[in-house]
Amino acid sequence: MSGLFEFFLKYPRSVYSRGQFALLGAWPRWVLVLLILAAVGGLAWLIRSRLAQATPMLQSWRAWVIWGLQSLLATLLLLLLWQPAITVAELKPQQNIIAVLVDDSRSMGLTENGSTRQAQAVQALQNGVLTSLKKSFQTRLYRVDNVPARIEDLKDLKPAAASTRIGDSLRQLSEETSDLPIGAVVLLSDGDDNAGGIGTDTISALRARHIPVHTVGFGREHAFHDVELDDAVIAQRALAGSRLAAKVTFHQRGYAGAKITLTVRDVSAAQPKMLASRAFTLGPEGNQQTETLMFDIGNAGARTLEIAAAPLSGEENTANNALTRVVNVGSEARRILYIEGEPRWEYKFIRQAEQDDRMVQIVSMDRTSENKIYRQGIADPKELAEGFPSRPEDLFAYQGLIIGSVEAGYFTPVQQQLIHDFVDRRGGGLLLLGGQFALADGGWNASNLTDLFPTVLPTQAGAFHREADPRNGTTHTTAELAPAGVDSIITRLVDDPAANAAKWKKLPYLMDYEDPGTPKPGAEVLASMITPEGRKLPLLITETFGHGRTAIMATGGSWRWQMSSPLGDTAHDLFWQQLLRWVVSDTPGHVSASVPAQVLLDNGALTISAEVRDRQYNPAPDAKVEAHILGPSGVSALVEMSPVPDSPGQFQAVWSAPKTGAYLTEVTAQRADSSTGKVVELGRDVLTFQRMDGVAENFHTEQNRDLLERLATQTGGQYWKPADLGKLAATIPYSEAGVTNRETKDLWNLPLVFLVLLGLRFSEWWLRRKWGIV
Amino acid sequence: MKLARPLSAISLLFPLSLALFAMQQGGYQRYGGRQYGYSGDAMVPSEFYWSRLQYTSGYANGSSYGFRGFRAGWAQDYPKADNDCLIALRRLTRINSPSALSVVDLDSDHIYDYPWIYAVSVNTWTFTDEEAKRLHDYLLKGGFLMVDNFHGTDDWEHFMAGMRMVLPDMPVEDLKDDDEIYHVLYDIDEKFQIPSEVYVNTGRTYEKDGYVPKWRAIRNDHGRVMVAICHNMHLGDAWEWADSPEYPEKFSGLAFRIVLNYITYSMTH
Repeated sequence: MSGLFEFFLKYPRSVYSRGQFALLGAWPRWVLVLLILAAVGGLAWLIRSRLAQATPMLQSWRAWVIWGLQSLLATLLLLLLWQPAITVAELKPQQNIIAVLVDDSRSMGLTENGSTRQAQAVQALQNGVLTSLKKSFQTRLYRVDNVPARIEDLKDLKPAAASTRIGDSLRQLSEETSDLPIGAVVLLSDGDDNAGGIGTDTISALRARHIPVHTVGFGREHAFHDVELDDAVIAQRALAGSRLAAKVTFHQRGYAGAKITLTVRDVSAAQPKMLASRAFTLGPEGNQQTETLMFDIGNAGARTLEIAAAPLSGEENTANNALTRVVNVGSEARRILYIEGEPRWEYKFIRQAEQDDRMVQIVSMDRTSENKIYRQGIADPKELAEGFPSRPEDLFAYQGLIIGSVEAGYFTPVQQQLIHDFVDRRGGGLLLLGGQFALADGGWNASNLTDLFPTVLPTQAGAFHREADPRNGTTHTTAELAPAGVDSIITRLVDDPAANAAKWKKLPYLMDYEDPGTPKPGAEVLASMITPEGRKLPLLITETFGHGRTAIMATGGSWRWQMSSPLGDTAHDLFWQQLLRWVVSDTPGHVSASVPAQVLLDNGALTISAEVRDRQYNPAPDAKVEAHILGPSGVSALVEMSPVPDSPGQFQAVWSAPKTGAYLTEVTAQRADSSTGKVVELGRDVLTFQRMDGVAENFHTEQNRDLLERLATQTGGQYWKPADLGKLAATIPYSEAGVTNRETKDLWNLPLVFLVLLGLRFSEWWLRRKWGIV
Repeated sequence: MKLARPLSAISLLFPLSLALFAMQQGGYQRYGGRQYGYSGDAMVPSEFYWSRLQYTSGYANGSSYGFRGFRAGWAQDYPKADNDCLIALRRLTRINSPSALSVVDLDSDHIYDYPWIYAVSVNTWTFTDEEAKRLHDYLLKGGFLMVDNFHGTDDWEHFMAGMRMVLPDMPVEDLKDDDEIYHVLYDIDEKFQIPSEVYVNTGRTYEKDGYVPKWRAIRNDHGRVMVAICHNMHLGDAWEWADSPEYPEKFSGLAFRIVLNYITYSMTH
């Protein structure tokens, strides 16, 4: 193809793509334009004046076809008189360096078609590419994995490096050679980059120096039969006994329409335990597919989970069928404060649902009469004896707050501000229920807490409606799953998504409902309800706010899901357990530690971060924070964490895991008490992570042509297949990097030009023969 | 025959007098003619509906109240007792209950909409298999049943016969004074036998051989009281006769406190 191109157009494609068109004639351009117009006009006049004498067949549009052909010929000839040319920058021979980078990572050691990818690269270079490059340029050889390293000979290549970082290597090369005239870079690789792509800063650095990167792709672009897991997203922390969701993304080639079994196994103990197993149908080839598996996480501790796809028959690479994830399962029970303004059934049935959940305790206060409050679930007789808490340390001792049918006026301004801080600063979860004194009907729409709510409440009261007549009524308020609720762990009553949606549709009707208003932009509506009048209103709305989260369950009548379902039906209890776990699961303690990724692949470097707050959940930048790390084979370290400037309460430490295996980190924070001077502990947090070597290279073993092509086009280079490398030496000179000449290449003597001239003349002659003389 | 005339007169007069007496069941308007929310009134949407359980009587009503034998046992003291309770509930608690009285039965699943039910004279109750299953499911899902007004050993046996159809294996236990149910709303530290209206004329607090009041319950696996049993007492009459000068206030006072505690317990446990 390119041979044909060069035969007719004389110069390689890159000349035309990079060059600039110019007219070299001495006379100004407007003269050319004038002459062209004169010629075209003159021909037209000539033909028109002779039209009457022409043969009859020509006295029509055909004459103007002839005129058109003649005009084109005249234009072309005139253009040629002005010496059209193309100017392009060309590297000066022998004054530029071409850097040849060969990927030296393990993936290049994969054998395809009888030899390894790297051997194929070496062979391509030795087959004349290097020699032809050396004719006009100096060449430098580098091997590249994490960093570029100069080598003298191709024999020094050994594909053993554990990971590839092309972007970092290119940037480092650009910096190292900033004072050298690098004309172009040739990168021979399979594009399997473990840094997640090439950053814009790398591209900018290369473009600033006008260095084009010519990429040569090795390795099969597509496997024929392979299933590869791309990612598995699981919450990093959970409460013991929680139900979790694993969102698994994968793609496959060669198995479209087949069935595959995805499993989640707990591999923490000596005996792996199967947690979930489900079969899915594979979609079209090459497409990324996402499926969700639900499972119970079990008891407390650091859990290592293996998410795997059962190998299918004939799979070429089964090492990329499994991913490892780590989950920290906490054992401390969470406490929720539930304040209810009247004895009602919803209160009883929520407490009943939670009694089987060891990890969540409801501490409740119910206004049974005008001046009596009945407390349940209290740890000691003094708890809540003074009523709803008015001090931060009293309210912040809970991880969640439920406000039932209680009017806003019941709370003092101090208590209302405390509720706001509970969510915003402390990071707690707030759940509001519907009721005759709740939401808009309780005056909450005029309170100072409206920014907390996930909806804009109705402006007027009268939003709460009870079922008119349970015995004789014919239309009721029903609930259904909303689109956002399909994938939510809160609303998943049955594992299978389709069965779950059907289950929601069949739930008994609600005994009452309250209009919660319009959801705010950042809120998620997980379930909706349809009123007896046919209105569709949001039923369950959730939102994150500040450090915490808020939700509205716009009914006080979901207890009918329990009483009117068959005995043994778990829908009501499961729903409330899952909702209340969502309210409290992510509520942080005084110390909250995290790492960017809990599985380290091939590289042990990581940054441990911690957020430290005092008793009132204000940031504590003066705390002494330490991370005590325990690892495999007796690895033990005590790392001091230093405060992050401009982020009070944030601390960081950089560490490197030396060995593969599981690591347990306990982060503690202490501070000297201002009044007594005694050192008190503010809190502690436990974190786990794992280092795994040799796993990353089993993934993304297909040639990443997309990455290589993008790298080439963004830097002004070109993507090459190994077979086409013969033309590399001819194309490389056309670059604006390094030391360049501006070359002017004539266009008048292109074979194409002569062909066009001949073609025009010939067609005119042939048409005249057919049609007649004019 | 000489006796024919007096016999036929009696046979005519007897049903007549019975009818006269039966007409008196229409209501206790002689007590001031107040308007009570009887079941004939329209239902108002409420959180709590006072729900009396209507059941089939399987035994002859062997009570000493001759003229009430014409009414089935479930309706004893209805509707004044129920209404007086409702007035107390509305006055003394924050429980939303504006609705009129409600009578429920085990014939359909509608009973599940009323998680608190009250049944009296349960020594006469019987269930079909379907009714027993429904009541069984009702209680285990979270429902609460309060039973009242049955006295002595025979009545207990008949009551338990029905109860065993519903909850075959669950033990009946005595409620202690320090049980949570007696401290939910009011602290009831002292309880005594609550007699029926018979006390006014006889001074007796017991009926048949029910000399000692038995405050009992059946709990579920989590310890929640599902069935609250008031044996050898008659709370219904204490509510009904609360506004009578002859009936001692202390019985009515305790009876109201008991029922309000039982209702509040069922709405919080």
